[in-house]
Amino acid sequence: MYTEPLNKATLILEHWTNRIATSKYNPFYYHGALPQFYLWVLFLSGLLLFAYYIPTIDNAYASEKLINAWTSVDYITNKIPFGAVIRGIHRYAGDAMVITILLHMLRVWFTDRYRQYRIVQWLSGVVLLLMVLFIGQTGYYLVWDERSLILTRMTVSSFDSLPFIGEPLKWWFLNGREVTNYTLANFLFIHIGLSFSLLFVLWIHYVRMQRPVVTPPPVINYLLMAAILAVCALVPIESGKMAMLTQQPTNFEIDWFFVWPYWLMSIMPMPMYWITLIVGVVVLCVLPYFVRTKEVEPAEVVLNKCTGCSLCARDCPYAAIEMVPAPAGSRFKLLATVMPYRCSGCGVCVGACAFDAIDLPNLLDSDVTANITTLAKS
Amino acid sequence: MSKTKVITLICERSVDLSQHLEQNTLKDDPNVEVVQYPCSGMIQPLMVEAAMKAGASGVIVCGCQIGDCYYREGNKMIRERLLGERPPGLKKTVDRRRVIGLWLSRPQTGRFISEAKEFVAFVGKLNADEGPPKVEPAKPAPAAKPVGEAAKPAAEKPQEEAAKPASAVKDEAKAAAETLEAPAREEQKPSSDAKKTTGSSATAAEESANKTDELAKSAEKEKPKEPPAADSKSKKKA
Repeated sequence: MYTEPLNKATLILEHWTNRIATSKYNPFYYHGALPQFYLWVLFLSGLLLFAYYIPTIDNAYASEKLINAWTSVDYITNKIPFGAVIRGIHRYAGDAMVITILLHMLRVWFTDRYRQYRIVQWLSGVVLLLMVLFIGQTGYYLVWDERSLILTRMTVSSFDSLPFIGEPLKWWFLNGREVTNYTLANFLFIHIGLSFSLLFVLWIHYVRMQRPVVTPPPVINYLLMAAILAVCALVPIESGKMAMLTQQPTNFEIDWFFVWPYWLMSIMPMPMYWITLIVGVVVLCVLPYFVRTKEVEPAEVVLNKCTGCSLCARDCPYAAIEMVPAPAGSRFKLLATVMPYRCSGCGVCVGACAFDAIDLPNLLDSDVTANITTLAKS
Repeated sequence: MSKTKVITLICERSVDLSQHLEQNTLKDDPNVEVVQYPCSGMIQPLMVEAAMKAGASGVIVCGCQIGDCYYREGNKMIRERLLGERPPGLKKTVDRRRVIGLWLSRPQTGRFISEAKEFVAFVGKLNADEGPPKVEPAKPAPAAKPVGEAAKPAAEKPQEEAAKPASAVKDEAKAAAETLEAPAREEQKPSSDAKKTTGSSATAAEESANKTDELAKSAEKEKPKEPPAADSKSKKKA
């Protein structure tokens, strides 16, 4: 398969990491849990910032007592003890989350773990990626400095280029017909609301796996945190100048993790930008369907041998076995049933069964045992 | 002396043996036969027992690195089954020193071959020292004379006592299996450490065998006392 050289390269890289970290502490083996950790960091740091953030844009007068989003962020950064650290953690955890999500996506792709029975995980992962990217952008709007103003205006003009839905989208985004206090309150709602909605999509992302690995070992968590704190210390965050609606700033610093769509917007016509984005998302979603390998032959329960012990249901890594009430007349209370669309054909259920009551149709365990016996006797 | 045959139960995605196999036999060591699975999680402990019963001197179970199973958990499952932490388990009659687990990724072919050769030498030495693996449960020799109902409590006693040292052997073997696994994961640990631990568990096995004999002898001595005690006990219960 076309990813085989990539898979090999990944395995070799991880082999060398194992020699340093051992397999128990190899961060590559926790590739899904790393973004999950950063999500908790973002929730906590975001909660603390939320305590002091004011979502308004008023700046009709210049005064020390002016209270708006920009001054509240300035207050957090410069007046609140450790406020700058919390702000830095929040910003850099967001960037780190995008990095770890991309690494996760690449590893899952290179090691061929995104197709067939894993399709729900892949598709929900694409949705999660899009949500995380948009949440990050709304975070940049909230600071309400010159960059925020440019990004807001660029977003509005990008909606302008969409047929039919463009106008309603624009009014939803601005929470009105123009940028007002309602707009910033809307940005805050989207930022926080979408962030909590991530948990719902994460549930879908995890639901087809039993015992998903969502927590790295504490040592790795400490290292992840240390990485962010190091960047906080080396690259302290400063806001740009306060946004003035009457002005038209044109330059802004690109944060390549979240602000890259605006770079795209700046180098191509708007319709082209939308086509690029949509084509990119569609390619990601259909990629699993284009790879042709042999179909999985799902496991089959031998009905008259199943005792309902549930060991196969407990062990199945993809929650593909359900215990149902045994039919009337059975000696036993429960019966195992396989959901074929979830089955990976791994045979862990066969290994768990002490009653020879479940089989992979193309590899019967009785055949395997017979083979073993023959080889041992030879 | 019978040939030392070692059966390897390996998953397809673990060590890449495609260049090293002739039919099912390992080219580098013809004593090793290899059976492949889609995932090491499909290995039933019954299959390990079947291998031993059919005359294998040892069994190597090989899966991917713990944490990197292609099907998420297969290698963890078989590892826990072999260690007794997850049902179904390995029968107590299987000599734990003759079963090792290796958790290796695909590029680690050299590692697999060297571990396999070492294991073949190890079970060969066990065969030379103690004979081929016993597949029937050890019966305490003197107390096994059937003397009707009265002998039953006496016969049960040494078997109960035998069960305790057997589980001690199992714990030692657990430690041995873990230590044998540990070099597969932590490449720094020299494999001579593994040999030492299995050596000590071999001594423990010999001690437990001696204990069983001693208990059997003491049970025989106590046999005449048992019938009255049994009667009085049953009277109390009634």
